[in-house]
Amino acid sequence: MKNHITDGKLRAALDGELGSDELAHLESCQQCQSRQKLIEAQIRPTVERLRFLSSPSQEAGLSTSSAWKKFNHEKLAQKETSMFRKLFASPLIKYGASVALVIALILAFPATRALAGELLSLFRVQRVAVVQIDFTGLEQLDESAGPDISQLIADSITMQDEPGDPVTVSSVDEASQLAGFNVRAPQDMIPSRISVMDGSSFSLTIDRDKAQALLDEAGRSDLVLPKEVDGADVTVNIPSSVSLAYGTCPEPSSDSEAAREMEREMETSGSRAELYKDCIILAQIPSPQVSAPASLDIAKLAQIGLELTGMSPEEAAEFTSTVDWTSTLVVPIPQNAASYQQVTVDGVTGALLERSIDDGDDAPQFALFWVKDGIIYTIGGLGGDAQTALEIANSLP
Amino acid sequence: MDESLRYESIPRPMKLSKSRSDESFESTFHEYWNAIHRLLTRMVIDPAEAEDLALETFYRLYKYRPSQHETLSIRGWLYKVATNLALQSIRSFKRREHYERYAGKDALIEAPEDQPQKILAEKEDREYVRLALGQMNSRQAELLIMRHSGMAYKDIAAALNLAPTSIGPLLLRAEREFEQWYRTLVQEEDR
Repeated sequence: MKNHITDGKLRAALDGELGSDELAHLESCQQCQSRQKLIEAQIRPTVERLRFLSSPSQEAGLSTSSAWKKFNHEKLAQKETSMFRKLFASPLIKYGASVALVIALILAFPATRALAGELLSLFRVQRVAVVQIDFTGLEQLDESAGPDISQLIADSITMQDEPGDPVTVSSVDEASQLAGFNVRAPQDMIPSRISVMDGSSFSLTIDRDKAQALLDEAGRSDLVLPKEVDGADVTVNIPSSVSLAYGTCPEPSSDSEAAREMEREMETSGSRAELYKDCIILAQIPSPQVSAPASLDIAKLAQIGLELTGMSPEEAAEFTSTVDWTSTLVVPIPQNAASYQQVTVDGVTGALLERSIDDGDDAPQFALFWVKDGIIYTIGGLGGDAQTALEIANSLP
Repeated sequence: MDESLRYESIPRPMKLSKSRSDESFESTFHEYWNAIHRLLTRMVIDPAEAEDLALETFYRLYKYRPSQHETLSIRGWLYKVATNLALQSIRSFKRREHYERYAGKDALIEAPEDQPQKILAEKEDREYVRLALGQMNSRQAELLIMRHSGMAYKDIAAALNLAPTSIGPLLLRAEREFEQWYRTLVQEEDR
């Protein structure tokens, strides 16, 4: 080799990272060797100063198995809880109709709104099923395409009837009259408030090309929306709902300032959990009615939705094959932050969801869902014991 | 309450099995936790923060799900993320004095009676090192940290998206830059 080795390569040689030809030259070239010694002396103080970065560990750190537990039980759960709270702070929840929780879960979270039309067409509800979703997968999608997805949904939805403000009534009979169905309440408990919320209706028309473009933009071009989706018109009618509050519960509110206040409260949820620790809300609503074109392959769309959350195609297919999509209310729950049990409640099979962790600044939340005689029931609380929900449900007349 | 009502067991077909990607992530976590946690423990002073940053590093890998998109050097990727988080943490200290005070107090508490000055000097020196790294261009700081943590050139090149042959020249430049920053900070303190 005629040319001498550059300073950069001489530096690499000090780390044993020089090619064999150049190494041969270095071994035979006095000039390069001298230059390398100069460079070595020049960088020596820096090498000494940074040596601690590779020194053997002396401190007793968290063991790998403890770290793994911490990652699953705290880190993932904390992230998912944050997403869960976001759902609870949704505009629909602010109306106080906790029975609409599932609709809100789907509609309120920007990244899942694209699925709203498809999932809502499930609402000829006869039973409840739970799917555990990795909400952190949605978080990434939310970051990359959330605003665009929200805008697409906003452009696609036409509200026919907005839900009104919740109306407080003085008795269960009055609630039944106003809501138009027979409201059930435990006879030995006195509610602190009974609220009725008017029904609402909206239609949704899907623009397949725009929706697909967003999927592509989000890096999910592997998910291909069926052509039949384009222009499909889905209409949803949500009947009036009734909620009965027991204990000290947050006020049902409909104005945006109150909703923001609620979100602020949730930010400092320690006090919220303390304040509402005895709050239980029993809510009920007749099954929403949904009409969608028969050509819409709901199972296929649901599978795409599940894959969007990060579920593998095999897992998504496994789940969709177990659900009758024409009559099942599917409740998505955070995989790491919540757990669920199927329970016998009120003579039917229901689902009991519970927050898996107590992160120290909030009490565990729970929600019991079941469907009986065409009415969807939920009992939820910000604190307390989920067993109470079962007791209340089984004492209904 | 009737005990029979408590969590009656009903087969749950909806429960999904653990996926291969979950297993792969778990195995990656177990393989690299110690290295990433150790790096961060050296880069930031507060052990609790180092632990948080290490968990955050793995959370970002969990979110990124590289197996779905590409093959990449997991080790390099983790080091890059951890290094960035550490540099952000160093830079987030609003007052350098806070950093130094923390280290000084810690050093005196921990130093053996026969060598308090040596330990203290060493700890102070590390604070200057951290501060100098925090002042540098991020790419140069990443390169220095990765190399001096023991990473091979090819792994650094993969993590930083550089040609392996460019590592030597860039490293030399970064080391010179670091030394300038370090000396400036020490001189400022001596004034």
